[in-house]
Amino acid sequence: MTPYAFLAEVLSEKYDVDPTSISPEATLTELGLDSLTVVELLFDVEDEFEIEIPEERATFETLAEAAALVEELLRAKGA
Amino acid sequence: MPLRRTFITGIGVVSPHGDDLNDVFDRVFAGESSVRKVPVEANGSSCDMLLSPVDFDPGHLIPRLSRRFMARATKMAVVAAHHALEGSGLLVSGAGPAEAGVYIGCGLGGSDQLQDHYERFLADPPRSLSVAGALRIMPSGPASHISMQYGITGPNVTYSIACVSSAVAIGEAFRAIRHGYLDTALAGGAEAQLHAGALAGWKELSVLASEHESGAEASSRPFDALRTGMVLGEGSIVLVLESESAARARGAELLAEIVGYGASSDAYNLTEPSPEGQARAMRLALDDASIAGERIGYVNAHATGTLLGDRVEAESIRDTFGSHADKLAVSSTKSVHGHLLGAASALEAALTVRMLQTGRIAPTANLTDPDPECDLDFVPLVGRDAPELEYALSNSFAFGGSNATLVLRKVMAS
Amino acid sequence: MRGRRVFVTGLGFVSPHGEDPAAIFERLFLGESAIRTVRTGTPEMGADVLLASIDFEPGDRIGKADRLLMARAAQLAVVATRNALEDSGLMAHGRGPEEAAVYMGCGLGGAEILQESYRTYSARQSRRVRPTTIPLIMASGPASQVSMSFGIRGPAHTYSIACASSSVAIGEAFRSIRDGYIDVVLAGGAEAMLNDGSVAAWQGLGVLAKEHADGAGASCRPFDLERTGLVLGEGAATLILESEDRAMARGAHLLVEIVGFGASSDAHKLTEPSVDGQERAIRNALEDAGLTAEDVGYINVHATGTPTGDPVEIEAIKRAFGPAAQAVAISSTKSMHGHLVGASGALECGITALALDKRRIPPTANLTVADPACDLDCVPGVGRDAPDLEVALSNSFAFGGSNATLVLRRA
Repeated sequence: MTPYAFLAEVLSEKYDVDPTSISPEATLTELGLDSLTVVELLFDVEDEFEIEIPEERATFETLAEAAALVEELLRAKGA
Repeated sequence: MPLRRTFITGIGVVSPHGDDLNDVFDRVFAGESSVRKVPVEANGSSCDMLLSPVDFDPGHLIPRLSRRFMARATKMAVVAAHHALEGSGLLVSGAGPAEAGVYIGCGLGGSDQLQDHYERFLADPPRSLSVAGALRIMPSGPASHISMQYGITGPNVTYSIACVSSAVAIGEAFRAIRHGYLDTALAGGAEAQLHAGALAGWKELSVLASEHESGAEASSRPFDALRTGMVLGEGSIVLVLESESAARARGAELLAEIVGYGASSDAYNLTEPSPEGQARAMRLALDDASIAGERIGYVNAHATGTLLGDRVEAESIRDTFGSHADKLAVSSTKSVHGHLLGAASALEAALTVRMLQTGRIAPTANLTDPDPECDLDFVPLVGRDAPELEYALSNSFAFGGSNATLVLRKVMAS
Repeated sequence: MRGRRVFVTGLGFVSPHGEDPAAIFERLFLGESAIRTVRTGTPEMGADVLLASIDFEPGDRIGKADRLLMARAAQLAVVATRNALEDSGLMAHGRGPEEAAVYMGCGLGGAEILQESYRTYSARQSRRVRPTTIPLIMASGPASQVSMSFGIRGPAHTYSIACASSSVAIGEAFRSIRDGYIDVVLAGGAEAMLNDGSVAAWQGLGVLAKEHADGAGASCRPFDLERTGLVLGEGAATLILESEDRAMARGAHLLVEIVGFGASSDAHKLTEPSVDGQERAIRNALEDAGLTAEDVGYINVHATGTPTGDPVEIEAIKRAFGPAAQAVAISSTKSMHGHLVGASGALECGITALALDKRRIPPTANLTVADPACDLDCVPGVGRDAPDLEVALSNSFAFGGSNATLVLRRA
């Protein structure tokens, strides 16, 4: 599953975000996530893809940016 | 059966300021902080945290062999119970009063044992597990071991209600005596979760204080405009409660009287407190004591130093007391000893007892720049004489929205 | 002794035998076991364990957002309480009585979260854990979530006294109503510690049953010669306790009356129960109820199936009851639902209430050849009608030596 697809699924299934509002340009704040929930979401991503997101890199705003970061970390892991 | 009066006849402490209550109180009254920067080891790496730890050595009070089966919180509780029983004159040949009840508050239980258990279980390959791990982990350890060590065979109850645990333990023990179910109870709390695993969880809640520019000791700042959060502590405090007739029959020294207890829930939000729920607990406690709010001279606040929590409590105190709030002295001793979680209420009740006995009110330390939104007399920086002090309130308000208030009264010369 | 009368006006379960009280009781009466061999752990590292587990799915009874802050035990408690509120007629627009109290027993709390949290912690360089960790692991989670889910604003107390947790919760709830502090209490317990890390800790105690030749369902055998230990279970049960006046005023159905509660400690050894302590709890309960041993027709015992524990309780009953011990029927329903630890007292009190109401006594399953030391009437195999049943006891005797006995009477 691609990082974006995973994010979309977790957001709607676990965090009860309305699936119709999920899009690559959507920001986490727009989707109604507070700061604690964002941290929880990052843990879900880290667990799923077996990566660690360094705190200083967690500056993305949109889902597309988040997905891109995950893809980058996956490539670095594979390398 | 008529309702019976309940007195405190002994107090034992194992606290960040030491284990002699009179000395502990003198330090708290002087505004002396026990908050330190402590390196916390976590599998190879070390990180400094602001904590209020206990320099604990059970010494001869717990046989070496027994220690293996005891979590840290349990060991502290057994020692605190010893001091309480000894101080009250109820320790006879190493045993306590057989029919007494044991009522203890404990938030997390054997959390050091739990960390050890999972370190072994999750190791690759898994290491062998310690035999009695399951028992040492549960919050009932402290109460169980007090009962076993001192041969106490009355009811044994552990309350695990986060920060109100020991307030409820003391309150329910008070009720049990009042209604004649018991003559004597050991009531208090025990908490020891200042190790890496549990602290990792607390860090993520964004409620812990950051270090003040003046250093660790200045970092717990309830009601101050520059407060940044709470400092976690550990310890165990046990009070001996007795019915009036039992205490007088044996000529016990009466330290203070418990006259009221009230509890409520916010049913609001897991981490945000509600002023309405807190005010209800205070009013219930006052009603339970059959006294008007105007009789209260001092409130030992829950206030942990979080931005929101302290503000909500200031509001709820004002709601409860109306115009009398302007005449109240309110202080948070967490400013010097930190937040002992499941043992917090018991420590604060013990300190409030000393205040009633000595007619001296301990200050809120580090309160140099009062938050304008917290508008009460918080006894800033310097303790105060209060010879007229007769009734005091002690508040505890927990995550998950539990609220508990105790009303204590000075022992009046008859 | 004194005070106001207290009635049970509703029951709610999430148990190894299901959620519907009548169906649960019927299955127990027939001697049907809910104990299975369950594969626990991870795909890489698992074990087959005898457990009374629940295939639990809250569905839309708990919203997704709410679930984030509820460990399994809390979810079980919320659903059991929902069932109880509905059963009692006290549910109004998704909320319970605001002035009620919540008194819950819970031995550990968010056990599976604890394990996951330590796994996360050790796996990550950052040594960070999820923000929800502390709220999720607290033993007070079930009570706190029940309070929030149903808008309950009275005190919410959590009792964490190992196997005696929910009996003491119910006992103190009973006292708080009897003594006039509150009119209605949601009292019970919840436990979900069947994650492999918790089970491993119990295995370390050497008290878990081995699989019997006749299979998983035959493996929990209280009082039987071939018993080898206890089987852990999970679940939640909530009883609605109400003052007589309040229950009558609203025309509530009165299921049973709670008439007494007795508690004691062994002050003995951590894993060895004491006859004296258990006997005292039973005597205290009867005295509290103003009743004698001759009044009691049934005891739902604590007996878990451990070789050393079961005979101690038999001896305690004999001493507390004297000759009347020979005339009372006793059974361990743990033989079928396992040991729910912090929730055991509540589940078993609920079953005892149903037994009184129906005048039918559930059996001790798997009791084929009784241990000579367990020589009372233990209702072996299948249940029995008890047309004269008026009063019953429910015992919970914990590791660490806390003993609690509740006395129930037909309403």
